[in-house]
Amino acid sequence: MPEAPAAMDPHRSEQPVGSDPTGEPSDPSDPSRELSDEELSTLFATDALPYLDQLYGTAIRMTRLPVDAEDLVQETYAKAFAAYRTFQQGTNLRAWLFRILRNTFINDYRKAQRQPRFQPTDELGDAQMLDIETRSAGGSRSAEIEALELLGDDDVSAALAEIPEEFRTVVVLADVEGFSYREIADIMDSPVGTVMSRVHRGRKALRGLLDEYAKNQGLVGAWGGEES
Amino acid sequence: MSCGRPHETPCSQVVASLSAYIDGEVGAEEYRLIAVHLTECPPCEHQRQEVRRVQALVVRASASIATPEGLRERIRVTVVSDTSHRRPGNDQE
Repeated sequence: MPEAPAAMDPHRSEQPVGSDPTGEPSDPSDPSRELSDEELSTLFATDALPYLDQLYGTAIRMTRLPVDAEDLVQETYAKAFAAYRTFQQGTNLRAWLFRILRNTFINDYRKAQRQPRFQPTDELGDAQMLDIETRSAGGSRSAEIEALELLGDDDVSAALAEIPEEFRTVVVLADVEGFSYREIADIMDSPVGTVMSRVHRGRKALRGLLDEYAKNQGLVGAWGGEES
Repeated sequence: MSCGRPHETPCSQVVASLSAYIDGEVGAEEYRLIAVHLTECPPCEHQRQEVRRVQALVVRASASIATPEGLRERIRVTVVSDTSHRRPGNDQE
């Protein structure tokens, strides 16, 4: 619990900011002076906009609808820009943006998710996970892992979409975005231990669901033997 | 699932830590113990390979996501060029 800061900016710097031992007037090349609006705008466009594709890719996993993902990302950038003056330059901008994305999703989107079965409590997420895990554990022979590669990207996306949001988001943040568990904990506002558990269970559930998809499509046995 | 042989680290413990092991999120000693276990235990090694395959599928599927055309420019225009909310209190004139 104590790891996650409540403020929007999770990246605190150990370094003092803005100190000027010489006491001389503001120097344009001095990184500690306050930026003008134009400079801030340019800096934001240069530094933050390159993360658009990554943010959109994660947003669509969260919302599962392109139109919602687009709105979510746009809102994320609006909030990030409004708070950019408080961002500690030189710290983890990418994780900061993802944290705003996640907070915006939780506050503005998850409550309004159109599908009633995806409700915003961790208890329901856990119940959905247990259901998936029980189905996987009770299944017969697993599909060969090679057979899973015969599945299309749409199948993988559909399987991901079945996993409760808090589990699929940590899987995407770890596997696609390559964030460390510590960074994911900051983004998700969760303890590192919870992240570790969710990554593990999320991947396991995904494996089980992909197994189901492979079986439903007759891909079990399609690898390494039987003729189609 | 276990290979039935005795191990310094039990299969259940290895399986529970597999994701963290793959992600480089375990300490050096735990990493060593799991690595040794995986060389001795085909079922656990199989599970490790499964996790890696699933990871690769997620990455592959995500690579096909395309950011909508025009979104970047829309953000640039509506967010970055809009000066009204740059500083707290600016909207009070």
